[in-house]
Amino acid sequence: MQLKPKALQPNATNARRRLIAASCALLGAAGARSQQANVAPADSGLLEDWSVDSALAYYHEDGRILAIEPVVNLAKVFADGQSLNFNGTFDSLSGSSPNGALTSHTAQTFASPSGKAAHAYTTAPGQLPVDPHYQDTRIAVGANWTVPFTRVDQVSVGAKLSDEHDFLSATVSASIAHDFNEKNTTLSFGIDNEYDSLHPIGGAPVAGSDYALAEKQTGGKTKDGVGVLLGVTQVMTRNWLSEFNVSVDRFKGYLNDPYKITSIIDSAGNTTGYEYESRPDQRTRKSAYWENRVAWNSPLSTALSLRYMSDDWGIRSDTALLHVRWSLSNRDRYIEPTFRWYRQTAASFYTPFIPSTAEPTTGYESSDSRLGAFRALTYGVKYAQKLPGVGGRAESEFSIRAEYYQQTFAERVPVPAGLQGLDLYPGLKAILVQIGWRF
Amino acid sequence: MPDERLIVEARGENLLAVRFTAMASPCEVLLPSMSHHAALAIGTVAAQEAWRVEKKYSRYRDDSVTAWIHENRGTPIEVDEETASLIDFANQCFDLSEGLFDITSGVLRRAWTFDGSDRIPEAAAIERLLPLVGFDKLQWTSPYLLLPAGLELDFGGIGKEYAVDRAYELLAARDWTPFLINFGGDLRANRSPPHGPWQVGIERPDTDREPTMLLDLESGALATSGDSRRYVLKDGIRYGHILHPSTGWPVLGAPRSVTVAASSCTEAGLLATMALLHGDRAQAFLDEQGVRYWLLK
Amino acid sequence: MKFKHASSLLLVCCATLASGCTSLGVKPWQRDVLAREEMQLDADPLDAAIDDHMYFSKEASSGGRSFAGGGCGCN
Repeated sequence: MQLKPKALQPNATNARRRLIAASCALLGAAGARSQQANVAPADSGLLEDWSVDSALAYYHEDGRILAIEPVVNLAKVFADGQSLNFNGTFDSLSGSSPNGALTSHTAQTFASPSGKAAHAYTTAPGQLPVDPHYQDTRIAVGANWTVPFTRVDQVSVGAKLSDEHDFLSATVSASIAHDFNEKNTTLSFGIDNEYDSLHPIGGAPVAGSDYALAEKQTGGKTKDGVGVLLGVTQVMTRNWLSEFNVSVDRFKGYLNDPYKITSIIDSAGNTTGYEYESRPDQRTRKSAYWENRVAWNSPLSTALSLRYMSDDWGIRSDTALLHVRWSLSNRDRYIEPTFRWYRQTAASFYTPFIPSTAEPTTGYESSDSRLGAFRALTYGVKYAQKLPGVGGRAESEFSIRAEYYQQTFAERVPVPAGLQGLDLYPGLKAILVQIGWRF
Repeated sequence: MPDERLIVEARGENLLAVRFTAMASPCEVLLPSMSHHAALAIGTVAAQEAWRVEKKYSRYRDDSVTAWIHENRGTPIEVDEETASLIDFANQCFDLSEGLFDITSGVLRRAWTFDGSDRIPEAAAIERLLPLVGFDKLQWTSPYLLLPAGLELDFGGIGKEYAVDRAYELLAARDWTPFLINFGGDLRANRSPPHGPWQVGIERPDTDREPTMLLDLESGALATSGDSRRYVLKDGIRYGHILHPSTGWPVLGAPRSVTVAASSCTEAGLLATMALLHGDRAQAFLDEQGVRYWLLK
Repeated sequence: MKFKHASSLLLVCCATLASGCTSLGVKPWQRDVLAREEMQLDADPLDAAIDDHMYFSKEASSGGRSFAGGGCGCN
């Protein structure tokens, strides 16, 4: 048998270079997909290749709300790149919630929204009026489905539903994303619609009406919001990833808080009455968001995000959030301090109280502190540790984090002499403690 | 049932080995001394990737992608992204090796039984199989593949090295620790452990002597191609199991084993296989490539 | 006059940025660091969801990173 070797040998160096390029393309593509390595085997069990992320959060405001919130998220990536995501949240809240009235030198008595005599409450002189019977439980579920339809495009649709005693919310969303520039740049566009239905306890009060008259309307209220988001993600260098988003949303309908009232104060500082708040029935918000993630060296990486928001209620806000992660011992565990700085201006119709000498207006007014001008700081730290996996999985992660949140009111509206010496704008202090388990 | 156990054992004072079996080869992940459960977690990542690649591309399983491709010969099918990348890679290797590397050449093994006996197939048996060989005979426009009747795809020639590189990517991305992945002699390391470089020995086939040489490996990949266990011996001539796709015969005069060092295992494995296909010109071919290599004749 | 200069300056900046963007980035085999958990834009999604919920119920802003709707009655 005559064996002839190939007559022409391939050009050697050229072949090697092409081989290197070919294997880089093969493995580079594989590397970029490395996060999808949990491809489902053909005969997988029920929960085997779903990844589960769960957390239990405990939130407590100083003298006010207490909330316990378990959250769970299930995700699965399929062999063809599709992914499915289900999440569920349960919220249990109780405690005291400010009702919008101003602190006074005399005791104040309020009826509870339900109208039950037993739930009426009295606020001592010099204390911020809060409804001490605040209680609610909320359950929310959501799902999201992502389908890649070309090598560089994917579309995602999602829905969520949230139900609590007096409020039902349904949201649907859709987005598409396009990769180009060797997957270094991703452009995404998303749109969402939220429909909310409220059945305030005791009925929705007529906006701006006198509290003592207790004019309530039967039937529920609704509001609807549409949001649009445009974003670009760019790989800057091997160690630096940047994301920039702009978004607009508009809500229409019943935007009042049906339980909030505003105190009417006379020139001597006495509270002469209260009014239910009244907000516009439309709100448009625009925001710009920029996030940068940088891996400085093997143990140290940071994520810094900045957000600017402005809306047509006159509120503008700036937010800066920094996470610093320090990975320890072979990246088995890490510690991550965080810091957040936030500032907002007041809504144009925000007023902490209504002077009784003022002309009665049909304008909007609210003393909800969330529409006021304040600064807030959050200090937090998180610790996470990798553990052996459960089921067939390689590893799991346990984490614990704590945050301290403090709001400080910035502006002071001039107050009558009778109210000097009272802490009218006490701000807010809260802690959040959370444990998490991911497998 | 495939054996999917992992065993953690110490190797000397400074190292741990997490051992398992995959792709019919003894596999291990070498790590500097650490807690056994951490080593097991790391080794599991590599082992699961090896088993995943094996199950996906094995020609012995009827639930593999390879079996599915063969069931659908004659009709166009759409393969998944990973398979498309592998076929693209095989296509590029077919081009740059000018047909020497051909993943459709697996059918030729039907004529040969490489068990150390002296059975050589008849020329007619090989002639019948040659028309079924040729990567250029299939239609491939990623991700659509049309495999004509009678042809086979065999990912075995790149499967083990690809599995090493895939497992390597998973461990290197997490960047936990220095490690060396070794799947049956195809290996890759990310960096040296604290006590010094990895020490790799290259076996000399079928002798009882000690390994020919010990290499100090800091990072990079080594792949070995050779016929140490699969060959036919007749009239004093060894017919190795790497068959030339255009003739259906092994290339005579090739070294018994070639080990190549490169930055990825896939690249090293390709070069080692191509070197053997150059027969007595293996050494000249490797010199032209400018890679580090070790031959055993 | 000022406006004209400003708009042409903006145009130049955009053009530079656009052409700069096409040369920014890494090769597919240089994505090792970017594959790390902490470099994912959606790292720790539950932490973000819990924080977003807390800030939505205490502040007037929401969203930015994703859609702004709160989906709950806490504001």
